[in-house]
Amino acid sequence: MAGIRLSNINKTFPGNVTVIDGLDLEIKDREFVILVGPSGCGKSTTLRMIAGLESVTSGDLYIGDRRVNDIAPKDRDIAMVFQSYALYPHMSVYDNLAFGLKLRKVPKEEIDKKVREAAKMLDIEKYLERKPRALSGGQRQRVALGRAMVRSPQVFLLDEPLSNLDAKLRGEMRTSISRLHKTLGVTFVYVTHDQVEAMTMADRIVVMKDGVIQQYDTPKNLYHYPANTFVAGFIGSPRMNLFKAQVQRTQNKIILKAGGSSFEISSKNKALNEYAGKAVLVGIRPEDIHAEEFYMGLENTLKLKADIDLAEMMGAELYVYFDFAGERMIARVPSRMNVESSRTLDVAFDLNKAHFFDAETTKRI
Amino acid sequence: MEKRTKRIDIIFYIILTLFAVIFIAPVFIVLMNSFKGQFYITDSPFSLPDATTFVGLSNYVSGLRKTGFLSAFLYSLFITVSSVAVIVFFTSMSAWYISRVKNAFTRTLYFAFIFSMIVPFQMVMFSMSKIANAMRLDNPIGIIFIYLGFGAGLSVFLFSGFVSGIPKEVEEAAMIDGATPVQMYFRVVFPMMKPIAITVAILNSMWIWNDYLLPYLVIGNKYKTIPIAVQYLQGGYGSRDMGALMAMLVLSIIPVVIFYLTCQKYIIKGVVAGAVKG
Repeated sequence: MAGIRLSNINKTFPGNVTVIDGLDLEIKDREFVILVGPSGCGKSTTLRMIAGLESVTSGDLYIGDRRVNDIAPKDRDIAMVFQSYALYPHMSVYDNLAFGLKLRKVPKEEIDKKVREAAKMLDIEKYLERKPRALSGGQRQRVALGRAMVRSPQVFLLDEPLSNLDAKLRGEMRTSISRLHKTLGVTFVYVTHDQVEAMTMADRIVVMKDGVIQQYDTPKNLYHYPANTFVAGFIGSPRMNLFKAQVQRTQNKIILKAGGSSFEISSKNKALNEYAGKAVLVGIRPEDIHAEEFYMGLENTLKLKADIDLAEMMGAELYVYFDFAGERMIARVPSRMNVESSRTLDVAFDLNKAHFFDAETTKRI
Repeated sequence: MEKRTKRIDIIFYIILTLFAVIFIAPVFIVLMNSFKGQFYITDSPFSLPDATTFVGLSNYVSGLRKTGFLSAFLYSLFITVSSVAVIVFFTSMSAWYISRVKNAFTRTLYFAFIFSMIVPFQMVMFSMSKIANAMRLDNPIGIIFIYLGFGAGLSVFLFSGFVSGIPKEVEEAAMIDGATPVQMYFRVVFPMMKPIAITVAILNSMWIWNDYLLPYLVIGNKYKTIPIAVQYLQGGYGSRDMGALMAMLVLSIIPVVIFYLTCQKYIIKGVVAGAVKG
């Protein structure tokens, strides 16, 4: 069992393209950590450096207590599951699972035992004699997981393993992978661009942008306490609404002005005092904008009449789109409400749940 | 509309059938004449054998006796099989390296291989045979390396086109599984190259088996391959034995035709794969 530590890691590709810049990251033993971010943010490169498939330009990379910068992938005691599955097309499922063990000269009986155990666990026993081309996407993905499992590695690395599957299968596989993590009790590092995967499976999530970690925290904290506007916008679906507001301080009150409205902020938020006369970014989640009668009478809300641009029916709720302070806002309202496009709707922003960010640095206040 | 398409189809069938007949005719004429007495071959080369002209297998017997066909067959077989094995082995490895390692050296190497395809054999044949003699490659083993040189261009081209289409992740998975580069090549990469390896093998076999000029120039004095042995029947000082010549031509065609028919489905697959995925 082993944790992973990346210390001041840099990765520069030929042509002086820096993809990772001074990355520090500590993953605890048996933790399930997910690297998430938009395309090109360096999450896959980070994973490939942990695997040893990419060299580290500078910095130190530890798996357990061992510095592995110069250690070959096969000697790092890791296993990796690829997005394209990367099964050996000419080998049967059995041989795909057994290949790594055969190369390590594990006795035949033991190989057989491990392969069958893994196959049973992943429910692919009846496909052992088949070639990968005769399997569906989900079955292939399970074979890829099995190939990683049989070697009993210290660390599991998964590079967007579910992105080639359809939505239903992806949901099932999410559960299987989470269960697998609990059963095996080893460290999992998982890369995805899908924040739903990240939120549902991870113990902790690393949000990355342009090769720099934006925030590293539990899914709950990322959602409720985003470190900056990037994380605020990236985590959560639909994304957090953000608009610019001017801070004014009158006596003991903090007043924010935005979009022709002014509203008072509870004096609990002391940090905002320093922003008097300056602009801040206000973030509010779509579920914290309410349209029900009940909220209209509550205090500490910003009430306004919204001109509905579009209302999307999502089943249990409606996504209502409107403009405020020059920004596009989304509110999630119960679908039983009679809301239609091109009408007005009374909405209340729950300011107790609002997030505030520095307009210049975009960092959380 | 449908009627018109049908008519066009019929016209195409007729044209293609004519082409097929034109291509198969020489082989058929050789086969037919191999069963006729040698004087009848020159008299009426295009008539079918009849009771008077048919001589059974006597042309085959005399051909085998005069040419030393068995030893020529064994030389041809040895040279073809060994050359093809060496070509497939080395060019697949080179192509894997060229496709996977991208730098100025591999790019130059690739263009050198491609360039070798456009240099006509006749341009280099005399200097090449001199060098081959000087390097003591003028024997059935030495000529294998000469064939490797001449076969490398097309083979590397086809293999590298195919390798570019193989996802790199498979090799990375093997690397993590613990395969050394040699194990990876033999146990993962080469088995995946099977369709294109068969194509390369067939294309090279047909060429090397039928090749006349290179073995004639390099080893022709001491070791006769089939094309050289057959050629001796028509030149020389004595009379030309057309019957035996035809019979030996038939025998020389048979192995390569069988080989082609067994593997032809891979040729198309491989050539297309090489072309598209390159």
